[in-house]
Amino acid sequence: MNIFFTACFKRQLARARVGLLGLLLVVSVGLSAQEQQGRFSGSLETNANFFLRDSLIGAANTPQYDRQLFGSEGWLNLNYSNWGFDFGLRYDYFNNSNLLNPTGSYTDQGIGMWYVKKRIDKLGFQAGYIYDQIGSGIIFRAFEQRPLLIDNALFGLKLDYQLAENWTIKAFTGRQKQQFDTYNSVVRGLNLEGYVQGDSLSNWSLAPGFGVVARTLDDATMSSLVANLNLYPTTDVFVPKYNAYAFTLYNTLTAGIFSWYVEGAYKTDDPMNDPFGEIERDGVVTVGDKFFSSDGTVVYSSLSIAPPKWGITLEAKRTENFSWRTRPQSQLNRGLISFLPPMARINTYRLTARYNAATQDLAELAFQADVRYAPSRKLSFNANYSYINDLDGVKLYRELYTEVQYKHEKLWSLTSGLQLQNYNQERYEFKPNVPIVETVIPYADFLYKIDRKHSVRVEGQYMLTGDDTKADAKQDYGDWVFGLVEVSLNGHWNLTASDMFNVAPGKNSPVDENGKKESLHFPRFDVYYTTGPTRLAMSYVKQVEGVVCTGGICRLEPAFSGVKFSANTSF
Amino acid sequence: MTSKYFFYSLLISFVLLGFACDEVAPVLNPIDTGGGPVPVAEQERQVLIEEFTGVRCVNCPAGSAAIEALRAVYGVKLVAVSIHAGFFAQPYAESQENLATPIGNSILSLLGEPLGYPTAVVNRTRFNGEENRQVGQSTWAGYIAEELQHAPQVKIDLQRTYNEATREVTVRADLYIVENITDPDVRLTVYLTENNLSDSQLTPAGQQNDYIHKHVFRTALGAFDGDQLSESLVAGAVVSRSFTYTLAANWNPEECHIVAFVHRGGSDLKVLQAHEVGVVE
Repeated sequence: MNIFFTACFKRQLARARVGLLGLLLVVSVGLSAQEQQGRFSGSLETNANFFLRDSLIGAANTPQYDRQLFGSEGWLNLNYSNWGFDFGLRYDYFNNSNLLNPTGSYTDQGIGMWYVKKRIDKLGFQAGYIYDQIGSGIIFRAFEQRPLLIDNALFGLKLDYQLAENWTIKAFTGRQKQQFDTYNSVVRGLNLEGYVQGDSLSNWSLAPGFGVVARTLDDATMSSLVANLNLYPTTDVFVPKYNAYAFTLYNTLTAGIFSWYVEGAYKTDDPMNDPFGEIERDGVVTVGDKFFSSDGTVVYSSLSIAPPKWGITLEAKRTENFSWRTRPQSQLNRGLISFLPPMARINTYRLTARYNAATQDLAELAFQADVRYAPSRKLSFNANYSYINDLDGVKLYRELYTEVQYKHEKLWSLTSGLQLQNYNQERYEFKPNVPIVETVIPYADFLYKIDRKHSVRVEGQYMLTGDDTKADAKQDYGDWVFGLVEVSLNGHWNLTASDMFNVAPGKNSPVDENGKKESLHFPRFDVYYTTGPTRLAMSYVKQVEGVVCTGGICRLEPAFSGVKFSANTSF
Repeated sequence: MTSKYFFYSLLISFVLLGFACDEVAPVLNPIDTGGGPVPVAEQERQVLIEEFTGVRCVNCPAGSAAIEALRAVYGVKLVAVSIHAGFFAQPYAESQENLATPIGNSILSLLGEPLGYPTAVVNRTRFNGEENRQVGQSTWAGYIAEELQHAPQVKIDLQRTYNEATREVTVRADLYIVENITDPDVRLTVYLTENNLSDSQLTPAGQQNDYIHKHVFRTALGAFDGDQLSESLVAGAVVSRSFTYTLAANWNPEECHIVAFVHRGGSDLKVLQAHEVGVVE
């Protein structure tokens, strides 16, 4: 048996052992759950996609459209608590799934996560896969985002100790999860958090914290890095360090109607990849991936003010050279140790959510203001403004979002507003020489309640884009119109029909055989059935390509054409 | 009270985390160049890099430049093939020809889809810690260096003749087995590539219609996933295969190359040795 097969076999065997142990554990405790008065809970989520090739919209040239035709993924989560222990186990499966890589196919299955947790007086421990964060996550956040298949749990051990009533210290070490394996770099960290309150007459409190995280590169990663650096012109070469450290200090001050969070983080010298790096060889400059080494900083602050009828949130963030990953070769959303808070509104309407500002980890200066005012129960206003530049003053993103909501006698409600956006497509989507996309989107959402269990909702949006003077066309895909009708029946059924229509095609819209821009429809039909904790959904979808973001992390998703099924439940 | 805990925590954190500035740094050494052609008897390990690229991939010129930098260092020890396939390979209206081929797409399917472009497969190996065989540009140098550390189990000699009148090239590949190869499925794959081809490409400066494409995959001589070697591959044995192909009218024979590599079959696909010669001597 050759080395490759031996390694694969060992990996499979190790995985099977862990899985078997976990299953035995759950089954055995499950059998005796009744008599031991344990608590058993769980959840199931699964998606299935049937792919229907449509070359015109770009839904083609991936394994699913070309030959596999079907892909699915699922997660079964099981939790059990008894004898002062908490046990968790998750079975993950991926069959020809495009979730890991939107243009690829991923197939594997096994135990995606397990843990054992226990508290003994003031000491607590957790072994296995750990999801946790320090502060707002700037120096460490181990989390799961299924829509983008981010699962960067730390596989290791965590201890926490209650120093005093309101003071806790925790320490952890492990390696970051990589699908059913782990990265080889070791991460370790420490976090102290507290809570201080004024006396009974005062109305202020503090929630300070301090954290430090260290990462040690493994030998293979360092060898790979060194091999790359050996090819660089001498002016670009640096001596990389195995160990890098990130520190953070944060605090939330709450006083009356004010709540002020501030966090400052510093990272020591660390090799990072600049996707827009310049390398000069023989007088020719090439732009692309280039390693460099630097320390880095992030300063983030959020102030919330909540006088009666008002809700005001002001945020600011400055990021410089803070690509903090388990290894510098990791790209996009892979190997992230840090999570940098997004500084743009998370939009939900189809057209207002088309252009998203992905968080920039090398250079970003951003401000955001969100103001809500509700003069009565019937009427409310919301305005949000985002301002994002890089550190050289280059405009990356602007957004002004306004919303007015009126509710009439619990019979109907109308939500309407306007969104204005400037989006640096060249930077966010690596599309060279394209202008900043400018959009104006009016929208309206009308909900009419026929009775307690029946309602009708109608949505309408229009996206007006600016002109690309160089291309003598509308920017990107041009203007869109979107309409949706949703009917809710019996409290269980939801039926929706929608269409997104490229009413005035732009530079990137597809062309027909005569070279004329085509105005394409992207229809969608959904049927949702909800009963108790269970929700089933079946959808026919044609979806244009775009940047999809979840919680501040984004990636470019190709167009989709096909049928989607999903099931969610908990028990 | 509060400050005491902060002080202790800081102290503990520095102790636990071993914060120190005196780590032993890795050694950076410029690599000796691989030089020019060598007789088959002196042939060392030669590594195959199959780069997947596309004319609509803005970052691919950087990938191509990285391969040229690697070839400048490793010379004949690095055999490069750039396969136009997948999402970014659809030609522009201004493209002189479609550089993507059905065989190139089949090779992409065989080796797996990448997360993004530029991407490459080094010796068709799935390296420890990688999601699949496709690896990003920032890792190529390391994996090539890693693969070059192994001695070749087989050496490849390519004899070719080119008929200018008929544009027919005949290739004989002689495989000199150095070490016993016991794998049940071992194959020989032969590609034909064309270098320095001028055509459209998206670059960070915009669409460039006279971009010089390197090592462009044109076709496979024989099966795209290799012709199985049925002979006993024991040390000292010599196995030969011959191929004939007529170059298309628009291919420049002076820039065409034959790339041959011996690799495992099945799901492994690991390349044991690669070799390249020009179609015209």
